[in-house]
Amino acid sequence: MNKAEIFRQMSEAIVAGDREASRRLAEEAVRSGFDLPEVIEQGYVPGLQRVGELWEKGEYFLPELILSAEAMKSAMAVLEPALGRRTTSAMGGKLVIGTVEGDIHDIGKNLVASMLQAGGFEVFDLGADVKLERFVAKAEEVGAQLICLSALLTTTMAAQKRFIELLKDRGLRGKYKVLVGGAPASRKWADEIGADGYAENAVAAVKVAKSLAGRA
Amino acid sequence: MRAALLDLARTRTVLLDGALGTELLARGLPPGVPPELWNVERPEVVRGIHAAYFEAGSDAVSTNSFGGTPLKLAAYGLEARSYELNRAAARLAREAAPAGGFVAGSIGPTGKFLRPQGAATEEDLVAAFAEQARGLADGGIDAFLVETQYDLREALAALRGVRVVSGLPVFVTLTFNAFPRGYFTLMGDAASQAASALEKAGAAAVGANCTLTTEQMAGCVRALRPATALPIIAQANAGRPEPGPDGTVRYSQTVEDFLRFVPEIIEAGAAFVGGCCGTDPAHIRAMAQIIHKEGKS
Repeated sequence: MNKAEIFRQMSEAIVAGDREASRRLAEEAVRSGFDLPEVIEQGYVPGLQRVGELWEKGEYFLPELILSAEAMKSAMAVLEPALGRRTTSAMGGKLVIGTVEGDIHDIGKNLVASMLQAGGFEVFDLGADVKLERFVAKAEEVGAQLICLSALLTTTMAAQKRFIELLKDRGLRGKYKVLVGGAPASRKWADEIGADGYAENAVAAVKVAKSLAGRA
Repeated sequence: MRAALLDLARTRTVLLDGALGTELLARGLPPGVPPELWNVERPEVVRGIHAAYFEAGSDAVSTNSFGGTPLKLAAYGLEARSYELNRAAARLAREAAPAGGFVAGSIGPTGKFLRPQGAATEEDLVAAFAEQARGLADGGIDAFLVETQYDLREALAALRGVRVVSGLPVFVTLTFNAFPRGYFTLMGDAASQAASALEKAGAAAVGANCTLTTEQMAGCVRALRPATALPIIAQANAGRPEPGPDGTVRYSQTVEDFLRFVPEIIEAGAAFVGGCCGTDPAHIRAMAQIIHKEGKS
């Protein structure tokens, strides 16, 4: 099978949410000595993009999105160890993600986290109901470039604004790119609070994160 | 009393209430405190909101128990108080109700996803809904309002859970997103398919709430109408939430925009109308005038 054909099948496995096929193709790519960042970018990511389009059109819903994310995860479980440290840091970056304090919703955040991981980032997921200080502490500890804040409630999204202020107070605003997301967030909101990026869904989040990390 | 709310719907459009959570926040509910706790800690505030809706013209109000399943309350360590908080919720609405005013026991989603997307089983959900329903029934509601459901399977589990403890009518609303090809829940349940499944499962009325603007809601009611013989419920949002720079939230539809499509919702076949996020007693008062006019014409 030639490379183009394998890439096409990888994309299909993601769209179909087929974990087994996704893993098998990743193993084949490793065995064949393919350039693995290229495998991710040209094999798997187009599948994710297609899933995002189907989601936006109302053809795919949460169950399909979760299956696709899991198929992506199963491929990454094979590719990541093979990629090794050097290439991982070359292709991605480190980011800290979590749902803000007072908010216990994490389904959407989990999806975004797994997509970002699939997109080549080293992801530090702090979970839900995360104190704003912990985002800073973790980012400082691991040397992250990006911090992603999720809020699902109109009552907790204000924490995203407070976080930007916290970074300013600590003199760290220039050090990190901040991405906001969650049902009530919007481009307008991100602009108003001075966040660096906003994404409407998990697929878009990967694009935004990459461009902020200077990889797009 | 039981059949009376459904009987009323056969004679004219029945007016439900508007948002409750945002009204509680406006009266000082602090972040991190579950609204249901105020049923015992600040009962006068909760009763006052119900009274304001009745005063504005609501025929029925829904209880302050949206997050009242043990599964949801567990996030605050309050799972053991589900029965107590729900019974208190029902009593407060009952106390606020004038003669002829009805009380619907609100049951929101558990927040858990069913297998395979999540870890919950249908039986877990049925048990949680039954416990909540027991408190609401003992507190003196007239009907149940299972609302804002995003998974048809969970809505059906709620119906089953209620039936474990009560024979009262069960109204069910799901929350749908509008797409060019129709109205679907987060899990992909089509509006028409959900309505007929709920009718088959024994719901007394079915409909849609939250997410949609009144303009979209009119379309959603049109999609629901041919799918079921049951009365249809429609509780739209006042547009989309738009946060201001100070962290407060406004809704994109003005009261006038919201109201413009209410007659269309009724014409499309909604028997029960009210509001959801972003609506308050002012919206309900204006809707009461519209219904009143329609009744006379």
